[in-house]
Amino acid sequence: MPAVKDMVPDIAPLRPPEEVMRLSRFGAMMPTRLSFLRAVVRRLCAERSKITRTVWTMDALGHGTAVYSVDFGGHTYSLVALSHDLPEDQRSDRVIATAWDAVFVLYDGVPSSSEVARIARNAPLQEAGRFSPRDLVLSRANKSVRMWDATARALQAGTQPDAAMIRDIGYLMRTTAVYGNGKFGIADRYLIADRKGLGGPFAAEMLTVYLIRHFTLDLVQHVGQGRLDPQLARHLGIGNATGLGMAPFLVNHPVLLNNWMMARETALARVRQIETLSEDQQAHLKALAKRAAQHLSEWHVPASDHDEALRRLEREWTGFAHHFDALDAPRPMDALWAVAQNASVALQELLLSLILEPFGDLIDGLADCMGDPFGPLTSPFGGTQALRHAIETNWPWVFGIDYTDAEACRRFWYVSAAKLEPRLGDRYLDVGAELETPLDIGRRVKALYENLPTTDAPVSAFLEAHPGHALAISRVALTARYPYADIRDNLIASTCRPIDMLRCKLSFFGATKFDPKSDLWTRITLAQGAPLGDELMPENDDWWMPVLT
Amino acid sequence: MTTHSWTEVQALGIKAASGAGVPPAQALAFGAMLVRHLADGGAEGPLAAALETPQTIISLALRIERVVEAASLGVTPISVIEDNPGQRAMLISWLFALPCHADVRIQGNAIEASLMLTAPSQRSRPDRVPLGPTLETQLQTLAAKTYVPDSDASRNAGAGAGQMELD
Repeated sequence: MPAVKDMVPDIAPLRPPEEVMRLSRFGAMMPTRLSFLRAVVRRLCAERSKITRTVWTMDALGHGTAVYSVDFGGHTYSLVALSHDLPEDQRSDRVIATAWDAVFVLYDGVPSSSEVARIARNAPLQEAGRFSPRDLVLSRANKSVRMWDATARALQAGTQPDAAMIRDIGYLMRTTAVYGNGKFGIADRYLIADRKGLGGPFAAEMLTVYLIRHFTLDLVQHVGQGRLDPQLARHLGIGNATGLGMAPFLVNHPVLLNNWMMARETALARVRQIETLSEDQQAHLKALAKRAAQHLSEWHVPASDHDEALRRLEREWTGFAHHFDALDAPRPMDALWAVAQNASVALQELLLSLILEPFGDLIDGLADCMGDPFGPLTSPFGGTQALRHAIETNWPWVFGIDYTDAEACRRFWYVSAAKLEPRLGDRYLDVGAELETPLDIGRRVKALYENLPTTDAPVSAFLEAHPGHALAISRVALTARYPYADIRDNLIASTCRPIDMLRCKLSFFGATKFDPKSDLWTRITLAQGAPLGDELMPENDDWWMPVLT
Repeated sequence: MTTHSWTEVQALGIKAASGAGVPPAQALAFGAMLVRHLADGGAEGPLAAALETPQTIISLALRIERVVEAASLGVTPISVIEDNPGQRAMLISWLFALPCHADVRIQGNAIEASLMLTAPSQRSRPDRVPLGPTLETQLQTLAAKTYVPDSDASRNAGAGAGQMELD
């Protein structure tokens, strides 16, 4: 796999990390055609994949077992889906839940009946089950009871569900966890990473999510004994509820984060470099701008502050739209981007997402560079003076934070003994700060800097006296080679909003319709607008910012 | 003997080292070493002993740091002398667990390592890693020391998923 840095053409400079790697920008990120789900569906479409239902033992209420198989990249994968009767009082989206409406395993191959039986014994236990290397992904989902009941009832009555409700909710079920890469005994990612279609980050997980969406549509039509209008069905994606667990991931996988951001920034730089646009390309961009406006108008969330932010963006986008009338000028994308520098971060991120969309030929290859097959290949510093210089060069933001201020350190991240749920505590009120998860990278780097000797010395000699600084040293070394590896904000400040980190990661997954429920968790929609299971053809890979037309 | 995924064992090794009191970076490296060691058929005894004395893990990490530092200065091969067979085995596993390419030769109590810091390791990984029950119990016990006990307060007041409404 080529490194992203080796694929960066001689183009306009990438946006600097100090501009990109900020929580305020993370909190505004949008999905792009490089997003992981999009990349998987694009490949499914390119291969004209067919999804086959090989097992279907469901009762009239939709409780039972289903297996779907799909050929993808030269391999066959199967989704084993187990649907249960879930008492209302047990339905929870939190990690600490112990029962779900449906549980799933993505299986490598076509499972025999004994393998289905094995999965049926373990998948309902989720984290407490044991899985084999043939099991690639483990997941579970809960119904949106409102959407589910309304859809099933409408179909039973021979009608269609209310389009407005579909627009507002957008899914029949939402996953509450999608586990991959070796968790609970399932296959390690490296066992499948060389396979076509599964090389990208979270590709197996995204294939699972797509198949779960297919299952939910099948199931509701089984229960409703009717057929959904394909246009409405297409607008039913798969929901997801995500909490704090995603936030530490970004800190604990710095090379991966770097590669995601590097690909995205490289894509932007390539598009900005386009000299001229054909009339078709101009028309495409204008159509996408209109679609974005409609998408925003259809995107409402219950939280008033988040909804107001959406309405501001909607108004700002309306005012910005006329700039799409000047696309016949030289270097039109760069000019458009330059104009947006006077706009809000939210508009910039929406525009970035939009202007990548028509240029797959130019940027889709970057999706192959977003993994981290090697781990960090860093070189040690020649001495403590070089280390000092690297901190001064790449970590200037830490000097602006007073870590002796209580508010700058109020939060601490930890792992609860309850199903290992990641949580966030108040250092001055809650117990457990001594067991803090080390996400306080900025604080550590500043402390390292303050402890460095005034005269040069081997870093190993410094480490012998100060072994606790090893993490900070490794992160400074990482940033020297991987500029987008670290978030340049204080993650333990009282003002830190984990939701911004969730937004970043979820946008890379391809999430839309972010629906924050607090600063700690959000609901989102995946695969809304994506082609249905019998529509996987290249011409149907056009579902950026889905709208219900 | 049960088998686990590579990721499970590595993550457990990291948490166990943290639970034993090892600083985060050294715990990360120890977890990578531990799973490499077990996957390559290494004995569990030295791992268990190291976890009993966190200073052993910190010292091993420092010795590897010195090897990497020497490699960055162009020294090759780098010789490391270790009389204790268990610690020697862990040093070898540690070198093989580095993300970079490592050639390692053993002559008596001497390890001769040649590192290519910018070339990725080509060592393969199996689909399962063996882990004996005694070591697994020790790892689980130490890992549990990194978890904050659950409480109503942590579950409900701002931590975890926050407010929850279902639709």
